Amino acid sequence: MSQSEAPIALDIDQLSVVFDTPDGSLSAVNDFSLAIRRGECVGVVGESGAGKSQSFLAVMGLLAANARVSGQARLGTEPLIDRDVAELNRFRGVKLSMIFQDPMTSLTPHMTVGEQIAESIIHHLGSSAEAARARALALLEQVQVTDAPRRLDQYPHELSGGMRQRVMIAIALACDPEVLIADEPTTALDVTIQAQILSLLATLKRERGMAMALITHDLGVVAGIADRVAVMYAGRVVELGTVHEVLKAPKHPYTAALLASMPRIDDSGTGPLPAIGGQPPNPRRLPAGCAFGPRCAKADALCRTDRPPLVGPGPGEGTRSVACHHPLQGTHHSREM
Amino acid sequence: MNEPLLQLRDLRVWFPIGQGLFRAKRHLRAVDGIDLQVAPGEALGIVGESGCGKSTLARAILRLVRTSGGQVLWLGRPIEGWSTARVRPLRRDMQIVFQDPLASLDPRMTVGEIVAEPLRVHARELSRAERRERVIDMLGRVGLPADVVNRYPHEFSGGQCQRIGIARAMVLRPKLLVCDEPVSALDVSIQAQIVNLLQDLKRDFGMTILFVSHNLAVVRRLCDRVLVLYLGKPMELASTDLLYSQPRHPYTKGLLAAVPVPDPDLQPQRLGGALGGELPSPLAPPSGCVFRTRCAHAVAGCATTAPKLQSVGSGHEVACDLWREIKTSRETP
Repeated sequence: MSQSEAPIALDIDQLSVVFDTPDGSLSAVNDFSLAIRRGECVGVVGESGAGKSQSFLAVMGLLAANARVSGQARLGTEPLIDRDVAELNRFRGVKLSMIFQDPMTSLTPHMTVGEQIAESIIHHLGSSAEAARARALALLEQVQVTDAPRRLDQYPHELSGGMRQRVMIAIALACDPEVLIADEPTTALDVTIQAQILSLLATLKRERGMAMALITHDLGVVAGIADRVAVMYAGRVVELGTVHEVLKAPKHPYTAALLASMPRIDDSGTGPLPAIGGQPPNPRRLPAGCAFGPRCAKADALCRTDRPPLVGPGPGEGTRSVACHHPLQGTHHSREM
Repeated sequence: MNEPLLQLRDLRVWFPIGQGLFRAKRHLRAVDGIDLQVAPGEALGIVGESGCGKSTLARAILRLVRTSGGQVLWLGRPIEGWSTARVRPLRRDMQIVFQDPLASLDPRMTVGEIVAEPLRVHARELSRAERRERVIDMLGRVGLPADVVNRYPHEFSGGQCQRIGIARAMVLRPKLLVCDEPVSALDVSIQAQIVNLLQDLKRDFGMTILFVSHNLAVVRRLCDRVLVLYLGKPMELASTDLLYSQPRHPYTKGLLAAVPVPDPDLQPQRLGGALGGELPSPLAPPSGCVFRTRCAHAVAGCATTAPKLQSVGSGHEVACDLWREIKTSRETP
């Protein structure tokens, strides 16, 4: 794959996030490492509280004030962690953009769509108002907003959820970013609109050669547009590999259990779903050993005492890393059509 | 077929809007002409995009919103126009589970009080001890230990709160359980637990379920039949097997194609076949077939006559006059 030789656009290295709270410190992300190359989309999957959003908010410098971040993240060669706001703003919204789940609250209600897109262009690129407006129109057309000239002068409340998310994407693209972080960009949308937005993101990634991190709880979303996927559980990456490796033959019992527990549209079964028992652990009281151990059918004494490290592939074993003492072997996961 | 538990005849819910001194009265047709029979013990899924009228239909059946026309028949008796007092005894047999598990529980009540409340209202003949026994029994059935009765909702996770909500709805052993997006707010691993719980309860108690959801994969797993709505109108009604294996209506096909599957060999192609466009404003629905503005098969005639649900065999009904011509273009979901 040519992507494996493309330069690394975003390099996250042993990132950890701890929140100081009145009830003590809470470890949200531990040793998160991920390199995303130009033209590559990496899906970051996990349930609520797995640390997927917090990792990338740390990269963006957008964490709450009580957060302590260690480790490093680099945009090309520029370090992003522990930079002051003025310095960060040279990259944020320019080379490094982010879109969020809720397109209503992410847009300013009292500014028109055109003003909000142009704001970023004028601020970062120093364009004239007319040039910025022309560029805003071109961007709206590129993200397939219907009736774009009229939309420029509309306010966010006049647009549907799908249109608002397209506007968010237009703002994120305004300065031609090298890296786009999309945090649950389609979770608030209907499946029909979700499919439209995902194919738009796939097209943009292909045409612009952007690096993209797609944060989602839905393995189906990942399967459609990601090249690789990182599965997170309780603040750590438990499995990382190509979408084929991870989704077709998961090695971590959590990944396998998550796939099996999802009802599928192409599965005519009517029996009970193989649900994962219990709940994700409380981040204040993580179990010793493997955090998934208490919910794992394969867990033994070792899993209860020693946390399994994320181990990379051996020679000739592809690209997959997995953090498990008893990884599943060669189980080709597929369901009857 | 047994006598239907529930029948809808041309049911309509129109919300008046924009009424002003000099403005003509307009209506938003949230539910517009639904005919339906639901058998005892059946699980019927109601699906469609946001704003298609799924929740309004469910609430109209429970008389939580006022209907504007047509009839709801409960065990063969029309209940339109009944006073609240006259409907109240029926509520014992019709209960609802809401989408947001925490917001639907009163934060000042203990779990025991929450689950006992329907009994206090509808089963006043029970003694305190009997009530307590029923509450603890029901909590056990939904997978919660007896000692939760003295705790408050905020102490529980989303999945556990949804179990409490289900226990509250089921404690009266209703004939009809309406579930309005009951798993949409839950994490993937917890969704499966709740879907399995609803399946177990249906098997054990044999109640009828109306399952409102935008998650078509969950509906396939849980429901016997599915009604597809678009802008308040029925598009397709079929057994789950037929609807998912041989969808006839272009809208149903588009909806099914849009649901992602976690398979990198299939999903990228599926993404390409997604339905274009968006739901038109329900205040200005298209003439004729309401779906025609997004339909790849629409012809001139679609703009003039609104197609009615017509049988295509085996209890499968579709509201499209062109279903014969387009059935060859079937997409496999």
